[in-house]
Amino acid sequence: MKRSHLHVAILCVILAVNVVLTQLVVHQYFFQNYAAVLIYGGFNLLLFPVAVFVYKHDRRQRGVNTHE
Amino acid sequence: MDKNNKIPFQEDNYTHNINRNGERTLDRRGFMKTLVGAAGLFAISTLPWGAVAAKELMGLGEKDYARQKIAEVSKVAVGDSVDFSFPSEHDSAILIRLSEKKYVAYQNACTHLRCPVFWVKEEGEMICPCHHGKFNASTGEPTAGPPRRPLPEIKLEIDNGVIYAIGVKRYEA
Repeated sequence: MKRSHLHVAILCVILAVNVVLTQLVVHQYFFQNYAAVLIYGGFNLLLFPVAVFVYKHDRRQRGVNTHE
Repeated sequence: MDKNNKIPFQEDNYTHNINRNGERTLDRRGFMKTLVGAAGLFAISTLPWGAVAAKELMGLGEKDYARQKIAEVSKVAVGDSVDFSFPSEHDSAILIRLSEKKYVAYQNACTHLRCPVFWVKEEGEMICPCHHGKFNASTGEPTAGPPRRPLPEIKLEIDNGVIYAIGVKRYEA
């Protein structure tokens, strides 16, 4: 894989994990495992800052001027 | 002579230097931005689920019912039933003593068309007179006829020889 596509791939994986976690949240709510809902939902929330971090890291690595 | 394909007069409207070619194409960075935005959307979409789950865990979803006396243990023989109403006077309910120690109570409006279900001691079943629906007395599950959903069960408490209704179980389909 091209080096420049690594971050795109990471973001795609994050999104896929988001989908899986969201489905788990809904199903565990249906099965009334409320603690599991909180855990999966928490992971889902955590993935957003991770995604932002990956995006920012990518921009920094390419030396993009943020004031363009 | 061809009138089209030529500029009719000299344009001077100050927009010639705005270059918007390719404005709508999705480049690599735009795609990454979309992915991050989608991740944010997923994060926000789980918030309500977390909120209702936390609410359930803290027991805020449980309703409060006033404890209500149904009957005295000594006046209900094994296999007998008592009609009462719980939680309000319009919610008719039935208490059945299945054995020496086992009592069950249900809101007895049939889950088909709300006719009052009654207890038939000889057959050991609860029967709805309107369309001959039958319910299992120990679980409240429908066993025959049109009803497809169980009767709502009432939580009981026995205190000093008196049977009290203390709540209605949450409906679980």
